[in-house]
Amino acid sequence: MSSNSQAPINHEEVRQMLDHHQDKMKTALRVCAHCSLCADSCFLYHVHDKDPRYMPSHKVINSLGKLYKKKGKIDRAGFEEISEIVWRRCVLCTRCYCPLGIDIPEMIAFARSICRSQDVYFQWSDLEQPAE
Amino acid sequence: MFGEMSMYDFIRGPLVWIAFLVFILGTIYQVVRFYRLSRPKERYQVRVPFGKPPKEPDESPAEPELTWWQCVKLSVVGVNPVMVSVTTVFHLALVLTPLFVLGHNVLLDLAWHASLPSLPEAVADGLTMIVIAGGIFFLLRRIFVDRVRAISTAYDYVVLLIATAPFITGFLAYHHLFDYDTVILLHMLAGEIMLMAVPFTKLVHMPYFFINRFVLVHENTLGTGGSRIWR
Ligand code: HEM
Ligand code: HEM
Ligand code: SF4
Ligand code: SF4
Repeated sequence: MSSNSQAPINHEEVRQMLDHHQDKMKTALRVCAHCSLCADSCFLYHVHDKDPRYMPSHKVINSLGKLYKKKGKIDRAGFEEISEIVWRRCVLCTRCYCPLGIDIPEMIAFARSICRSQDVYFQWSDLEQPAE
Repeated sequence: MFGEMSMYDFIRGPLVWIAFLVFILGTIYQVVRFYRLSRPKERYQVRVPFGKPPKEPDESPAEPELTWWQCVKLSVVGVNPVMVSVTTVFHLALVLTPLFVLGHNVLLDLAWHASLPSLPEAVADGLTMIVIAGGIFFLLRRIFVDRVRAISTAYDYVVLLIATAPFITGFLAYHHLFDYDTVILLHMLAGEIMLMAVPFTKLVHMPYFFINRFVLVHENTLGTGGSRIWR
């Protein structure tokens, strides 16, 4: 999968990264009204038949939000799930619109950095090749 | 001192002041905290990623000019017209009604010999019903619209109740439905809880709407493009 190492997750390192940006990230997570108005601004949401899992706030809540909620104590399988969200469900095109001005791509980019620090990231070679 | 005070006296006495202090100081705290955690951004550093492209040489086809109506259709107003209309009316009524309700101004007048002008009672009552109707709309949306349900937890329902409870109980009190003394006590308690919840729950979006949309620099900043970034 998207894990490039089998070493255990360094929870201390993850926690330090989370702490370093917690003011702005936790504030953004708290301010979100869970209103879903950002959904229609994401082209991937539309491309995937309005699957709620492609809604920008859904992606943030289940990646960065989960990391803060669990204070970084997530195992490798959990990190792989998060990497699936932050790489496969978002391309960081920065087109998402939130009426409350929450900067979603910035939060997803930060979740990617945390994944990378634990050697979890997306590789094109992981993709299934389309049948000829 | 509190030992001898009944719950009733506490809710209609000290808790009113505590609630207003928590609301005002808490909101100021949130704004001050933001300014302490952010710094000014020099104007020349501001990125404008989607600005008008430089003028193309004459041979290339011109960029299609959007009419103002096409701009509206592409904005959140055009994409979610029902939600935007409901939420605008909901928020206006929610903020303005309590300021101009006769019942509140009578109490203010008794305490300080000063008060705001009052709306006719029927109008205030109508605005109260609008807030309650908006709350019901948000509730139904949260239950029945897939994408809203997908990000909802008990917390979202609790906050919605906290925001609308003063209006529901205020409505019951005004119409003398159920036992008035109990209802008005519940109304005061509900109002106090709502005020205290604003700075410390997702209702903190009240100050943060303005911070995010006008002060912080990012792609969706309104006005002059913002002036500060997080440290
Ligand atoms: C914290 C102390 C509060 C006190 C002591 C208080 C007291 C009262 C009183 C005495 C009435 C008049 C009831 C009647 O006509 O018999 C009233 C009505 C009302 N209150 Fe409050 N209130 C408080 C907080 C709030 C808050 C925070 C809100 C909303 C955010 C609110 C919203 C309303 C509304 C909307 C009505 C009018 C309902 C209607 O006319 O249908 N109140 N309140
Ligand atoms: C005065 C400044 C305020 C602004 C600019 C503002 C703006 C917003 C925005 C943009 C949303 C997101 C989605 C939507 O439009 O429904 C929202 C949601 C919400 N706001 Fe406000 N708001 C303000 C104050 C308040 C206050 C004082 C309360 C309650 C005490 C409140 C209660 C709510 C609730 C309950 C929601 C969520 C609705 C849902 O469940 O979907 N707002 N607000
Ligand atoms: S990110 Fe913004 S638009 Fe999306 S659910 Fe949260 S508050 Fe609403
Ligand atoms: S940045 Fe990600 S979430 Fe936002 S619109 Fe682009 S793909 Fe969707």
